[in-house]
Amino acid sequence: MITIGQKFPSFEKKAVVSIEKGKEFDTINSEYLANEDNVWTVMFWWPKDFTFVCPTEIAEFNKAFGDFSDRDARLIGASTDSEFVHLAWRNNHDDLRDLKFPMLADTSKSLAEDLGILEPNEKIAYRATFIIDPTGIVRWVCVNDLNVGRNVKEVIRVLDGLQTDELCPCNWEKGQETLSN
Amino acid sequence: MSESTETIKEILTAMSADETHRTEALSLLEDGNSRYLRDLKLNFNSALSSEFITAKEIGLLGLSVAVNERNAVLIKFFQKFASDNEANAEEIAEAAACASLLASNNVFYRFRHFTQKEKYSQIPARIRMQIMMKPVTGKEFFELMSLIISAVNGCEMCVNAHEDSLIKMGTTEERIFDAVRIASLITSTGKLIF
Repeated sequence: MITIGQKFPSFEKKAVVSIEKGKEFDTINSEYLANEDNVWTVMFWWPKDFTFVCPTEIAEFNKAFGDFSDRDARLIGASTDSEFVHLAWRNNHDDLRDLKFPMLADTSKSLAEDLGILEPNEKIAYRATFIIDPTGIVRWVCVNDLNVGRNVKEVIRVLDGLQTDELCPCNWEKGQETLSN
Repeated sequence: MSESTETIKEILTAMSADETHRTEALSLLEDGNSRYLRDLKLNFNSALSSEFITAKEIGLLGLSVAVNERNAVLIKFFQKFASDNEANAEEIAEAAACASLLASNNVFYRFRHFTQKEKYSQIPARIRMQIMMKPVTGKEFFELMSLIISAVNGCEMCVNAHEDSLIKMGTTEERIFDAVRIASLITSTGKLIF
């Protein structure tokens, strides 16, 4: 499995970004993971569309969308379902209609495979969450088994922890080299 | 018009403020015909020019001190001074942001430095400092602003740390010295005019 300190694998995938006719799909790739705008990426995976645990969890992420954007973090939801299944699910479920983040379709399962989060029997993704820093490096991974939901507050707490490096030279003690080195 | 009223008028006009503007303290100097008013005028004028700091930088440094001091008259003056000297809105915003961020750091790290207790340096500060990553005014200048705010707020170790960091970036001592001089003069002006 991809872990802390490793580069997030490259990918290019279809994603559902809207339910408005003609604007449903977009392509998302790994290029923007490393960026000059100091934007972090939070990518979270679920096993299958049209199941019960998932929409609650996805809706929780959606409710916290503002908390992520306040922290310059871009949210991406993902599963191994196709973009058409994603769209059908969004149209079908009240809590998913106004999602503010893209639902990535890893239909070929290549990204889940590269990440090492494919469940071996059904070949669906575990509930994995990745926090990727603006240089494209994975800084946090959390993987839950198929039926265990996530705590979105915990993801935000970790993101805060990662982003509040004490960058100021004021954080300096006698006998210590300063941070500018 | 008395000589002190005349001097006050000159100071306020130079600051693009209303010449009849008075604070209680300024009125005391006026009523007592204080000789200090002339020094104040000359000191403030000398804060507006430097051999080692550009006019735009003086505007931004002045603005950050004015924000730190919550001085509406000086904020207005230095905002205009900075923008007249080609500082853009983003840079002006960063000067204000720097004053606010350093105010928290000066309080927090000064506490850590004062107590010198291991325990307090082990607990994460959880203060967001994202603007320090890629400051629009540049790393060196942001550091210089941080230094003068720390000097105004009186945090000894913050001052030493920022000074050390500037020297390592190649900033001259003359430039550092002048930035602090400017900050000190703006601070003193702000005691009388706000």
